[in-house]
Amino acid sequence: MSTEVSPEHSRAATPGPLTPAPAPSAAPNPSAGRESARRSGVHDKGSLMVAVVIGALLIVWAGNNSYRYSLVQTAALYALIGVGVYIPFVMGGSLSLAYAAYASIGGYSVALIASKTSLPVWLGWFIGAAASAVAAVILGQLTRRLAGLYLACITFLFAQAFQSWLNSASGITGGQSGIGGFRATSIFGWVPHHRAQIVMAVVLVIAVGYAVDRMRLSPWGVTLRAMREVPAAVEASGVRVSMLNLVALGFGAAVAALGGSLFTTVTSVVTPGTFTLNLVFLAVFMALLGGQATPWGAIAGAVLIVELTLNVPSLETSGSLLVAIVVLVVMLVAPTGVLGIVNTGRRRLASVVADRRRADTPIDQSDGDSLA
Amino acid sequence: MDQPQLWVSALTQGSFFGLLGLAYYLVLIGAGFFNIAVGAYASLAGLLTSWLVVEKDFSLWPAIAIALAVTVVVAGATELLVVRPVQRRGRGSELAALVSVTALLFVIAQFAGFEFGYTTLPGQQLLDIEPVQIGGAIITANALIMIVLTFAIFLLLAMLIRTTRAGRLLRAVGDSNPVANMLGLPVHRVRLIAFLLCGLLAGVAGLLFSSQAGVSSSSGLGWAISGFLAVVIGGAGNIIGPLIGGIVLGMLQIFVPYYWGGNATNIVLLVVAAAFFSLRPQGAFAQRVRV
Repeated sequence: MSTEVSPEHSRAATPGPLTPAPAPSAAPNPSAGRESARRSGVHDKGSLMVAVVIGALLIVWAGNNSYRYSLVQTAALYALIGVGVYIPFVMGGSLSLAYAAYASIGGYSVALIASKTSLPVWLGWFIGAAASAVAAVILGQLTRRLAGLYLACITFLFAQAFQSWLNSASGITGGQSGIGGFRATSIFGWVPHHRAQIVMAVVLVIAVGYAVDRMRLSPWGVTLRAMREVPAAVEASGVRVSMLNLVALGFGAAVAALGGSLFTTVTSVVTPGTFTLNLVFLAVFMALLGGQATPWGAIAGAVLIVELTLNVPSLETSGSLLVAIVVLVVMLVAPTGVLGIVNTGRRRLASVVADRRRADTPIDQSDGDSLA
Repeated sequence: MDQPQLWVSALTQGSFFGLLGLAYYLVLIGAGFFNIAVGAYASLAGLLTSWLVVEKDFSLWPAIAIALAVTVVVAGATELLVVRPVQRRGRGSELAALVSVTALLFVIAQFAGFEFGYTTLPGQQLLDIEPVQIGGAIITANALIMIVLTFAIFLLLAMLIRTTRAGRLLRAVGDSNPVANMLGLPVHRVRLIAFLLCGLLAGVAGLLFSSQAGVSSSSGLGWAISGFLAVVIGGAGNIIGPLIGGIVLGMLQIFVPYYWGGNATNIVLLVVAAAFFSLRPQGAFAQRVRV
């Protein structure tokens, strides 16, 4: 019985032949079969639990401090954009840099609904998500033959042009000063205030993280990840690669738009400069820093980046430098990211403990299972 | 478009983009890779020179020498410490190398900002000569140097790449790293030389351009994208491609804001880039292979 447990551990702890080349993603091999899916499913509940605990701690930590409120909100925005980038970039292998534009679409649709119509404000969230998904699909359709730096460049130029348009179309977007001071969001008469807002932000991030993680393990997610590795094989098995790519891009854009809507709802102001063009690079770095195996990596990366750049007083201006250096070092030395390191450490520890247990009591399957 | 002064500005900007494009081009034909850190090299060279002169009281030429040396070393480090290890890891490496070089671009930019300040530093006057007047246009010394030097560099490199053994080696290695390796060509050395030259060119470009427009630590990203666009518009089939692309780009950057206002520039840029990317991703001068 115990012999069945030990190979599991050794395979998880050391990157063996089943773990594909780590760069840039340490995505699990889809062919590992049901066993792996079951185990990932177990881990993924564990990650959810850890995320809920950390989220709750963040809410408690924020207390009544408005600066901490804004930090948590910023982290939520970063995390949603990070997860938005994660879907096409890490899972699908296409680097789109238009996320500042998608977040702006989310933000502006909330602001426009709140300031120019009498419709319920939360409608802006759905409209923003839908509109940016449509924008991403159109942009993706135009650039469907491009990959790598070509795609990155054209999407970056799109974000830049979109920002210019926001600046110049003052009739709709309020120009440089943007739209501000619009009515607060009310959900069927209930107006959430500070505490409720950050609870909602944290819940939204965790829900999105969990949903995307489930999606990663679904047949669709596995197909998407297979496309990243061998597009020809996916095309040959009857899946339209270009369509799959478009769906991934649209989905990522919608998630990023949620981030923009959330941030705008909380701050009650949106300007063309709210979602800077540099934000998208941070979003790419989040996944790399936190770990590419699951979307939780992007979320962890977002929290880390907010901590490093905004919350460590001694780092004031050097925070961004530190983030850039850490990202580069992680990419070169530990491509699985922070969560990857944590996971490896945890598994090593678990296997050490399991070995010790086994030495004490030769047959003890239930303990081995709970540690796996 | 009948103002000669605007044409001078367009030509100067175009030369700058062309030089950046040439820096891309060298790594592209030598290593088959878009080295986006080019923009960071350029801003590093410009910033370091100005910082040494303004803050450390260096005289101009030693400052330039130090700045170019540092830039070349950084470019070499890009290949040795970042691109090569990441590409060696294998599958999916194109995107991984691209992203890690982008991270490097941010490291350089943030480091420059941290060390030399986040403000825009003025560039240095390179030669003390009077502005030249040609027709209705006044060409400053810096603009003159930029344009003349760019064309000289392009001519020189075109000759070197076409006629010398080193140039043939560069193209051979770039066409296929594995095949060149199999033939026993010094792939690693050639790639390193391509990166070093790329750093030198980008450094010269950054120095020359910041002497006219000033330079800040955040210039790098925009310059990186401009240089890339120059290569894409011009095409990588011929060494003249980046220069032509750069000048087209320079004209867009000057004439569009003049006629349609500043906000139109980015939109026109997107349209032009999208047109080239979707209709002619190989650029104006594509490589033709005769079979």
